[in-house]
Amino acid sequence: MQKHHNSSSIVSINNITKDYHLGNVVVPALHHVSLEVESGNFISIAGPSGSGKTTLLNLIGCVDVATSGKVMIDGHDTKNLSERKLTDLRLHTIGFIFQSFNLIPVLNVFQNVEFPLLLQKTLGKKERETRVLDLLHKVGLNKHALHRPTELSGGQRQRVAIARALVTRPKIVLADEPTANLDSKTGENIIELMKEMNRVERTTFIFSTHDAKVMSQARSIVRLADGKIQETT
Amino acid sequence: MNFNTNELRVLFQIAFRNLFSSFLNVIIGGIILVGTFFFVVGSSLLNNMDTAMSRSIIGSIGGHLQVYSDQSKDPITLFDNWQRPDLAVIPDFSKVKDGLAKIDNIKSVVPMGINTAFVAYGNTADLVLERLRKSIDAKIHGDHSTANLEKIDSLKSHVQQILKVIHDGMANIGTITNSGTVDPQSLRDLEKAESKDFWASFDRDPLNHLEFLENKIASLIPDADMVFLSYVGTDLGLFQRSFDRMEVVDGQTVPNGMRGLLISKYIYEHQFKVKTAFRLDQIHEALGVTGKTIAKDPDLQQLVKQNRTQTRDIVFQLDPISNAKLATKLKANLNSNENDLSKLLADFFTTTDANFNERYDFFYKEIAPAIELYRIRPGDFLTIKAFTKNGFVQALNLKVYGTFQFKGLEKSGLAGSTSLMDLVSFRDLYGYLSPDKLAEMNEIKKQAHVKTVDRDKVESELFGGDSIVGKANEKRINDDADLAEAKSKTRDSQNASSTITQNDIDHGIVLNAAVLLKNPALIQQTMKDILATSKQEQLGLKVSTWQQAAGNIGQFIYVAKAALYTAVFIIFVVALVIINNAVMMATLQRVREIGTMRAIGAQRSFVLQMVLTESVLLGIVFGSIGTILGALCVHWLGIKGIPAGNEFLYFFFSGPRLYPTLSVLSLFFSMFIIVLVTTISALYPAIIATRVSPVEAMQADE
Repeated sequence: MQKHHNSSSIVSINNITKDYHLGNVVVPALHHVSLEVESGNFISIAGPSGSGKTTLLNLIGCVDVATSGKVMIDGHDTKNLSERKLTDLRLHTIGFIFQSFNLIPVLNVFQNVEFPLLLQKTLGKKERETRVLDLLHKVGLNKHALHRPTELSGGQRQRVAIARALVTRPKIVLADEPTANLDSKTGENIIELMKEMNRVERTTFIFSTHDAKVMSQARSIVRLADGKIQETT
Repeated sequence: MNFNTNELRVLFQIAFRNLFSSFLNVIIGGIILVGTFFFVVGSSLLNNMDTAMSRSIIGSIGGHLQVYSDQSKDPITLFDNWQRPDLAVIPDFSKVKDGLAKIDNIKSVVPMGINTAFVAYGNTADLVLERLRKSIDAKIHGDHSTANLEKIDSLKSHVQQILKVIHDGMANIGTITNSGTVDPQSLRDLEKAESKDFWASFDRDPLNHLEFLENKIASLIPDADMVFLSYVGTDLGLFQRSFDRMEVVDGQTVPNGMRGLLISKYIYEHQFKVKTAFRLDQIHEALGVTGKTIAKDPDLQQLVKQNRTQTRDIVFQLDPISNAKLATKLKANLNSNENDLSKLLADFFTTTDANFNERYDFFYKEIAPAIELYRIRPGDFLTIKAFTKNGFVQALNLKVYGTFQFKGLEKSGLAGSTSLMDLVSFRDLYGYLSPDKLAEMNEIKKQAHVKTVDRDKVESELFGGDSIVGKANEKRINDDADLAEAKSKTRDSQNASSTITQNDIDHGIVLNAAVLLKNPALIQQTMKDILATSKQEQLGLKVSTWQQAAGNIGQFIYVAKAALYTAVFIIFVVALVIINNAVMMATLQRVREIGTMRAIGAQRSFVLQMVLTESVLLGIVFGSIGTILGALCVHWLGIKGIPAGNEFLYFFFSGPRLYPTLSVLSLFFSMFIIVLVTTISALYPAIIATRVSPVEAMQADE
């Protein structure tokens, strides 16, 4: 029913190039990259620093626009969308997990998770509460609902971030180096949790990492180097 | 549904959480707090002063509007006692009265003429000698009653007492200057008057002796005085009905149809009261109202010193019997062995904070009844002299019926120094001749064979033909008789006790008129109506509001308000700049947070609202605290009252203390300003914040 070429693809990237301008110097970040991500995948984008992982994720996450090429997210050509529509797309279709957790410091755990639902304005108070508490239960933080982010450990914060990313039931969750700021044990737990969510919620997960151990958890791996895809497995 | 409230809730939650998260916010809050505090207190005070002052002006002589001739050279000013505006005459008030009566909103039109005259009266010696002369006249005319004879004896010894005081005074001058400052002739006269021979021969030829005393001695006393009297000539009955703040203090109002004068209580106290008593009153009030002390205040010390050194005012007034009586009382009161009254009084008036009230009471209980506390009393006649428009001096004997004051303005020299006079007497003093009078004058001139002589014809008229001079000579004796008759006629027509009618009042000149309105809110419309009527009926009027008519005083409140608003404006401009900077800094510090929100799906508008809400909330929270503190302060002042430290403030406060009430308008206005200022100052940083890219969220920690 969707019109893009691969009907199972939730993300379809076709021949994109992204250049950054540093003064007069053009720094190429991505070179003619094409990628199809089918719905429900648990995919890792791997590569050394500066290989273009974050850029690729930014393009998929609709927070950045490609210099050329086509990015289709859930059947929407992002080039044709206004800034407002892109924001809406992010709000309803994409969840974000950040390397530095990026929780809103003045809100408590419950409020942080609830925040995207408030922006969505579709659910009533009761439904929001049920959904938030359910997710907090799933990430194991139901006892910490009223804590402020500063009162939590790094692993706990990232769990809150995962709950926040999933609370709107997005089709895609993007995670940029989700374990980079965590010790390996906690990092493993976080990946476990993401995998669990992928299984239970059938949410597509796309995460970047340069940690081989984390990478090994992925169902498929896209290897980037110097802004080009080296290998897809 | 409740979607918007949800978003609002999260906005407020974020904003409120951020409120106290930075120290900078507390500083900004402090500035806003101080700004609103001053604004609320200041504007409440000024609003109250404004109403109090407008009450003062409107309720005393201003009325809501003043009309005057459009031929006038100056705009009308009511309280410039030293420089009267040059107003042209409105020839017939009745036309103005009838014309303006057609305007619906006008309650009454009170005719007025403001002028200044001077009043001269004799010194204490003159008064005593006058009384002595009266008693002696009575004796000559057959009053040999014991009472009268005793009175003569008492007055005679009073005169001798005065002579002694004068002599002592001269001796003092002599020792101080050690030279002949004292006129030797005066000294000889004084010695003669004091001699036993003089008094031994007094009863044989009292009139000549009196004349000597009156001519030679009374003039040696320098306490004769001239008082300037500002007055409003008006329809006294209408005036009292129209100006509700006027009240009679001593005596009575001028009865209907009578000429007369009501002296302002302020002037009565300042100019006509025995100086010593007036100074005591001043000290009494300063100690009671303003909380000053003699020990610390140099002005009060000066007053005490003057009272100590100027006891002569009182000693002069006492005959030997009263003198001795008072000396005995003072000796007892002061526990002193001194016998000389002057020294006893000097001692008595050396008051301190500790004994002042007791001595003040003693003064009014024991000393005041023995002396004439005021130089004129209700019922006395006062000779008023004024320079007419034509430059000659016009004098009038007017009965003083009483004193009056404007409620709330008792202590204000600005509004309180104006006395009230009937309009007809004003016209006489103003030197305006009505057509009738002009005809009468011409009649007198004709009778006296005075004719107007052209300047170039003077010579020929005076020295031209023998025939004219000769004729004139023939009639000279008769001329004198005619002149005397004419003179008495004019005097009759100016006799102050002659009655006047409403017709006399209404038909004649006025300089201006106060207009009182039924609905003061319609003042602008009424002004237009008056001008239209004036044009239609050719009344030739100009109109001023009471503010304009009050001159500089009326402007004062505006100046004060301008100053306050400027100060508040500066505070808020400073606040604006600081808030702007602070919000900018806060925004830059929160780029990651804002980027995250944007990435998660917050629209730009949400970010804009968030930053604005934060700033406005900051303003509202601290502004409210400032407003509440300001309101409490005004409330506290309203209970305690702000003392009017000087006469000016007395006028502005319309009373001895201002009890400010909170102006609700200023509360709303202060909150409005706060919201405005904080919104404006946060607007730019908020717009910057909306430009934060969601990419910022992706940046790894440095």
